Amino acid sequence: MLKINNLNANIDNKSILKDFSLNINPGEVHAIMGPNGSGKSTLSNILSGKKGYEISGEVLFENKNLFELETQERAHKGIFLAFQYPLEIPGVNTNIFLKTSLNAIRKANGEKELDAIEFLKLVKEKSKELKFDEEKLNRQLNVGFSGGEKKKNEILQMSMLSPKLSILDETDSGLDIDALKVVSEGVNSLRNKNNSFLIITHYQRLLDYIKPDFVHVLMNGKIIKSGGPELALELEKKGYENFN
Amino acid sequence: MTEKIKIDFEKTLKNSAFSEKDIEFKMKYLNKFIESGLPNRKLENWKFSDLSQIIQKNIGELSFYNDYSIQNKVDTSIFVDGLEHNKIIFINGRVEKIDFSYEDHNKVKIDDHFEFRAESDNNNSLLSLNNAFTNKCFRITIKKDYSLKKPLVIYHTTNNKIKSKNINLKLEFELEQNSSLRIIDLLKDESVNNFINIFYNFNLKENAILKNYKIDKILNKNIRYLFNNIEQQSNSVSETFILSSGSNFSKNEVNCNLNGEYSSAFVNGIFSLDNEQQHEIRTIINHLVENTKSYQLIKSVLGKNAKSAYQGKIFVDSKAQKTDGYQLSKAILLDETSEFNAKPELEIYADDVKCSHGSASGSLDENTIFYLMSRGLNYKQSKELLINGFLLDVIEKITDPEIKNLVKNMIGFKE
Repeated sequence: MLKINNLNANIDNKSILKDFSLNINPGEVHAIMGPNGSGKSTLSNILSGKKGYEISGEVLFENKNLFELETQERAHKGIFLAFQYPLEIPGVNTNIFLKTSLNAIRKANGEKELDAIEFLKLVKEKSKELKFDEEKLNRQLNVGFSGGEKKKNEILQMSMLSPKLSILDETDSGLDIDALKVVSEGVNSLRNKNNSFLIITHYQRLLDYIKPDFVHVLMNGKIIKSGGPELALELEKKGYENFN
Repeated sequence: MTEKIKIDFEKTLKNSAFSEKDIEFKMKYLNKFIESGLPNRKLENWKFSDLSQIIQKNIGELSFYNDYSIQNKVDTSIFVDGLEHNKIIFINGRVEKIDFSYEDHNKVKIDDHFEFRAESDNNNSLLSLNNAFTNKCFRITIKKDYSLKKPLVIYHTTNNKIKSKNINLKLEFELEQNSSLRIIDLLKDESVNNFINIFYNFNLKENAILKNYKIDKILNKNIRYLFNNIEQQSNSVSETFILSSGSNFSKNEVNCNLNGEYSSAFVNGIFSLDNEQQHEIRTIINHLVENTKSYQLIKSVLGKNAKSAYQGKIFVDSKAQKTDGYQLSKAILLDETSEFNAKPELEIYADDVKCSHGSASGSLDENTIFYLMSRGLNYKQSKELLINGFLLDVIEKITDPEIKNLVKNMIGFKE
């Protein structure tokens, strides 16, 4: 599904990712763990099409060159990024935003756009699953939401858009244990043999709830070790500093 | 200009039936105007928009004579759909129709040739010009305890029969105790390169409510000046909303005198400008007695070479304790050539008051755009969503739900 070959990324002449390679097949869950500044967020930004990076190397998504696609085209093809810091957008109603987003993606894929009633039914169902306060859907997007609510809102969006590849950028940070469980259940319910996940985190804790197939340790822009879930436990024990 | 204006003035007098007193009044103001000329940037009030230069550049020589003897045909297709309303229709500055058929006729009084009156404060040369050339000044009185059932839409239309003309309009509104009036000014031009000069005078008695929505939405190449003078007695409320978008140049001035306790004034405005447009709003709110309130919110969205300015003055008299005055302006600059000027002025002579002002401007946030695009929206959709979101809280300030929806539809808000 996703093939990253020798990806190099610089920002302001500073090298962030160095010959980074990763292969994600349909249905797999990969976790990337790494200390602050190791390049985790840069990776998720680049996969979503954020501008401002100098890039070389190759990224293929379903055998298509990702760099030829604009940010919104990547979303149309099924890439979703759950933001580490979801943005507050004053004046934009959460429901209207969700509907615009869902219909933009449906339209791009030649599917029928949902009308107001169909949309509301779906969003109600999904909010209930995620224990997301429905009243918030009529508020301005993320404005006045707590940290946990913002993250839940990201997972609600993910669940509405049912992407093929979901990138979760430190979704666990700022979540209490109950919210962490709800969010993890949301992710797990989307897991199937076609959907893949790339989970970026500092801590092993999230991986108790979302069992990864592979764990990679990212340091200084490079994967230094890959393994199964047990690698996360080892990392937690030793710490990043002693891992090298 | 002096020779031309004198000739045009003589011609105007010859073709109208003004009384001797009117003529004397008009002569006085003509001379006053000739003395001062069109306002230019040397005047503090006009430092952001030099009208004299703008007219010179866009129109050249103005002609002040208008033939009001011929009736124009009213095009009914311009009427607002889906909203029952009273009408006043101006075509090229001539009043073609006044229609209050939804109202009780004993409660709305229309005077069509009351005597021209001199205003007390007049350093405004455009008011002098207006006084000298206005053909007819109507006064509309809303009687005590009467609320108009339907809004009044004032259609300001022009057609291509006029060019390089100066058009002057004047309306007076008297709102007696406990009365209320909603006015929508709709500007619709098919003419180009005219200078249109509009004066409204409102007199709000105790408990009267005035809501005035000015909609300049349709792109046109005219230059426009609109002045609202609002006098307010106790417990009266005035709400002014300005959508400033269509004309090539426009300046709205609101002068509001809060003369009675517990009176309040609200001024909210949107500038949505592109391609060399230049608009301004200038307000003066005079808090003259205790316990009065004013609130102003102005937002700008400015495209290439577009320029907007907001000069907001809050004056608090030494008698006006417990004044509550607020103003805020914000601008989104879409291009490096966009320009927003804010000049807030607080002049306070009382000590127990609450007054504040703020101003901010910036470009669209790229991170927010990225967030929206990562959800499948293209750049244009993302930008529109953000701009609509930015403007929404000004629209939400419209207190009349029917008119709020009308304005939303006009701007193209989707829900």
